[in-house]
Amino acid sequence: MRQTNRLADGGRIDRSKPLTFSFNGRQYTGYEGDTLSSALIANGVSVIGRSFKYGRPRGIVAAGADEPNAIVQLGATEATQVPNVRATQQPLFDGLVSQPTSGWPSLKFDLLGFSGQLFGRALPPGFYYKTFMFPQAAWKFYEKHIRKAAGLGRSPTEPDVDEYDHLNQHTDVLVVGAGPAGLSAALTAARSGAQVILADEQADMGGSLLSSRSRINGVEASQWAADTLQELAGMDNVLLLPNATVNGYHDHNFLTIHERRTDHLGDRAPEHQTRQRMHRVRADWVVLATGAHERPLVYANNDLPGCMLASAVSTYIRRYAVIPGHSLVAMTTNDAGYQAAFDWQDAGRKVVALVDTRQAPTGDCVEEARRRGIRLLTGHAVIEAKGSTRVSAARVAPLSEDGQHLTGPAEKLACDTIASSGGWSPAVHLSCHTGGRPVWNDDVIGFVPGDTLQRQSIAGAIAGTFDLAGCLEQGAQQGAEAARQAGYEAKPASLPTVEEPDTGNAMALFCIPHERRISRAPKQFVDFQNDVTAAAIELATREGFESIEHVKRYTALGFGTDQGKLGNINGMAIAAKSMNKTIAETGTTIFRPNYTPVTFGAIAGRHCDALFDPERHTAMHDWHVRHGALFENVGQWKRPWYYPKPGETMQQSLDRECLATRNGVGILDASTLGKIDIQGKDAREFIGRVYTNAWAKLAVGKCRYGLMCGEDGMVFDDGVTSCLGENHFLMTTTTGGAAHVLEWLELYHQTEWPELEVYMNTVTDHWATMTIAGPDSRKLLAELTDDIDLDKDSFKFMDWRQGTVAGVPARVFRISFTGELSYEINVPAHYGLHVWEALFEKGERHNLTPYGTETMHILRAEKGFIIAGQDTDGSMHPYDLGLDWAVKEDKPYSFIGKRGMKREDCLRQDRKQLVGLKTKDPSIVLPEGAQAVDDPKQPVPMTMLGHVTSSYYSANLGRSIAMGVIRGGHQRSGDTVYYPLSDGRVVEAEITSTLFLDPKGERQNV
Amino acid sequence: MSELQTDTRVSIMNQMPEADVTARSALHFSQAATQPVFGPGQAQVFLWEDALRGQLVIRGDASNTDFAKGISSALDLALPGQLASSVSDAMALLWIAPDEWLLLCDLEQAFAIETRLRDALTGHYAVINVSGGQTQIRLAGSAAARVLQKSMPYAVSDTHFPVGKVATTALSKTQATVRRIDSTDWELTVRRSFADYAWRWLTDASREYGLHLGQPEHDET
Repeated sequence: MRQTNRLADGGRIDRSKPLTFSFNGRQYTGYEGDTLSSALIANGVSVIGRSFKYGRPRGIVAAGADEPNAIVQLGATEATQVPNVRATQQPLFDGLVSQPTSGWPSLKFDLLGFSGQLFGRALPPGFYYKTFMFPQAAWKFYEKHIRKAAGLGRSPTEPDVDEYDHLNQHTDVLVVGAGPAGLSAALTAARSGAQVILADEQADMGGSLLSSRSRINGVEASQWAADTLQELAGMDNVLLLPNATVNGYHDHNFLTIHERRTDHLGDRAPEHQTRQRMHRVRADWVVLATGAHERPLVYANNDLPGCMLASAVSTYIRRYAVIPGHSLVAMTTNDAGYQAAFDWQDAGRKVVALVDTRQAPTGDCVEEARRRGIRLLTGHAVIEAKGSTRVSAARVAPLSEDGQHLTGPAEKLACDTIASSGGWSPAVHLSCHTGGRPVWNDDVIGFVPGDTLQRQSIAGAIAGTFDLAGCLEQGAQQGAEAARQAGYEAKPASLPTVEEPDTGNAMALFCIPHERRISRAPKQFVDFQNDVTAAAIELATREGFESIEHVKRYTALGFGTDQGKLGNINGMAIAAKSMNKTIAETGTTIFRPNYTPVTFGAIAGRHCDALFDPERHTAMHDWHVRHGALFENVGQWKRPWYYPKPGETMQQSLDRECLATRNGVGILDASTLGKIDIQGKDAREFIGRVYTNAWAKLAVGKCRYGLMCGEDGMVFDDGVTSCLGENHFLMTTTTGGAAHVLEWLELYHQTEWPELEVYMNTVTDHWATMTIAGPDSRKLLAELTDDIDLDKDSFKFMDWRQGTVAGVPARVFRISFTGELSYEINVPAHYGLHVWEALFEKGERHNLTPYGTETMHILRAEKGFIIAGQDTDGSMHPYDLGLDWAVKEDKPYSFIGKRGMKREDCLRQDRKQLVGLKTKDPSIVLPEGAQAVDDPKQPVPMTMLGHVTSSYYSANLGRSIAMGVIRGGHQRSGDTVYYPLSDGRVVEAEITSTLFLDPKGERQNV
Repeated sequence: MSELQTDTRVSIMNQMPEADVTARSALHFSQAATQPVFGPGQAQVFLWEDALRGQLVIRGDASNTDFAKGISSALDLALPGQLASSVSDAMALLWIAPDEWLLLCDLEQAFAIETRLRDALTGHYAVINVSGGQTQIRLAGSAAARVLQKSMPYAVSDTHFPVGKVATTALSKTQATVRRIDSTDWELTVRRSFADYAWRWLTDASREYGLHLGQPEHDET
């Protein structure tokens, strides 16, 4: 298809590099240097989407981040789908595939448009609250269709094929925006030697200079920009980041920059390149030179395709050599709007009229318009656009001096494009992210950034400085100040000479009056993305929504993906007027990150798939993998869960592992248990204060079980601590609790008992720990050591010995979590696998069986040993658990939790207490979490007694066993309780001791 | 062969095994599973494990002159101050925290050095052998600093992180003690259990610059 709207020359596109692309299923061509929107305009595509509420046709309005309508779905394949891309910011590449996101079911025949008015009536302001909330269950239905109709795009259904990453940057100065002020600031700061990052959201840096008619130092403004960029690019201390949107400004000058590295190259990123990168920047000083957004004027039917921003018209003509129509009516409240008419005329197309709302404007622009012979209508306004899917005429009428009413009949001017300029709104967004509140400035006719606590300054249009010379000067000033603040000596810059037209005063006008009042006039749109009209804002204020934040939420003004960049100020002005307040009194809503939408990929970076979360491995991990272990996540550790043999069910594996351990010998990788080395002359005293039991007399060579409680007296961790030397202990913790316990000890040492001489260090990773358990474990160990006396009377239960196992220096602890004869062998981790394999070599004839965490759980439950965090939940003290023997009340110094567990509530007899549970039917395994009741026939809500904490099938006992808490359970041994299950069954169980096996503890003392 | 030391206040242990015992470093299996991206000629990143070093954590009070003197007499190294290191041919002493240092030495020497330290130090101090509990990953090459920028929030510029500096910081979602050995040569001390994750993260971050597994050629001796 021919590019009917492409100009023969000019622009910053490369006509030698044609590109093909598709939109809505049709093929088009454009050139390298185009954006998707400029290429669509070149091809005469007017209708880009349908509006959200009313289904009205919509076209391209803007040329940048403020575009509300040209929101497209991008992607040639399912895996590369990207929703909600602004066509104005998407560089064109060969093979680009795009679809409209709005306009369901189709752009041409629109269901919503067809039912137009009717559906619109159903969606008044506040419709979210009024229409869809009741009945509540229907919201899911509504939401699905609203989302689709709203043009919110869709997520890909396949995983993203591209990679994204993060990069941390530290810099002296970050300059945001590479327009005249930003370039000037970056240049001045960089010349001082400061490290400078200059980021701009566009592929081409230069901002307004790229479409300006002014001259700097005798050359075109775009040439000056190119020269300046060349100088900056040649400096080692400067990083230029084009295609990089500073999306978030966080406290302490931490900013996030979303760099699109390959989005301009193709549908997928080239190999070894990340598609997008999130720069996490910490800047000593930030210069915001984010510019300003042009405000459109609000008039009837101003959403018709062909209604555009005046500056966007100029940008398309001058930068992209495309012209959006054939005949133009331009309306403006200020001198800047004149450029669109001049550029249009220079492109060889017809300017029907230049409509200035001011009664008697003066200045260079006005004179030039007269000189050019353009029909200039002063004191007039476009009050209404006419047309069905494209502007066909503008109705123009004379305006009172204050712009509040019409003073004569309207004239109809045939045209296909209406450009409007209502002045410029400083892009204050980033300045709001850290809590700054914009303040209204009558001279600027806009909100400018308010005070900030950040090390930051502003320069150029964001500060309300709209003339080019002023922007360059302010940029240089703030660049120098930034460098000074960062500790560099900045020389005063010699400012370039600027040739630009003199400008007269602008008029503060937002909503153009119509012959009929707002509520009766054809729709005057304020927020295009959410279809918010001037009438809706008026209605909201009439309904009593007086705070601008309420107006915003009630009408959905500024709630779109464009965050109201185009419409917010107009909306606030209309709200202010209808409440007879000034805009300053009405105030503004503020903006949050992100400035423009960011892909989830860029947020996730490389923290996905295998790198999503660290996996911690023991020294024997590779052996477990090779031997078919299934793994359980415990904290970040990968622990072997069980080792299924071919054809086994899980229960068969567990039965085999349990029986082998109780009848022969099993082995567990226990390396993950937390291990804390404690040294110092006060180590023993310190341990006595953090554990509930006594430590004063534990001899060197001995081990003891300890319970750790919080100040509230509730158990949070447990483990065995061994006395290695008079001033030296090794504490073990649960796997998941290791880091917390070490922090807990440090907290108490540093804040409560700094006088105690003790040092705590983690040695969890240093020692590989393997537990051999079962009646044959001594025989097995004897084959691997000749310097440890394993005789049962010299190496007793709860003793530890140092020696050599399989040629490796080891500490062997005779402790047991299974109730069996058991040894925990600790060797330096480098040799863990060697010792493990040596155990298997010798263990073959003992049928040494590896077991995982699930078998460990069953074996310990058979003995009633608790697991902190499974059988406890932070609300159980040692007495609840039946561990009275592990609390030593009369220690000379108190211990953490002693007072807590004496609180009145802790002494109640009917607290939930840990008991054993045996189901009447031994084959039924109670579900963990099931709630006990006394009377299964009691109507719901039933009186619940407590829940099952641990429950297994025990192959050793040939029946199921469980532990659980029961109110006053310690006094109820022998009682029957009932567990009503969610499937309707009721399981009967008897309250028992938690000691299911070997109640006298003889097996571990052999 | 060693005996239970019931007569000393702390239990110390020569942890060197008999000669025929196979040692596996923390990254023994991870390295074998990694593929280089480019050859050494094109690579801008070189990554290898400085495996099986002796590592002692030393705790003590830096303001106690006896402690500082004891350290320097036992090691012939000055006790480094905040974020600094002291280096000799055989050893490196890294500041970790206000009361903590990490000594890197030959694994075979670890017990002898621990004994020397204990002989030289008095009062309240601690020495802990953690040789098996962490490992050193070396990262070198012209793009090494870029890889670190992708991996940690701490600034690695020449001015902020000069040669010899040490900082313990976040390395992606784990932790590393980072030491700048030379302008393009970095040492990362990571926990053993997290080493595989750190290795995979670093190899992934290095790919775009060309990754060679092993030392740069000019370093081969």
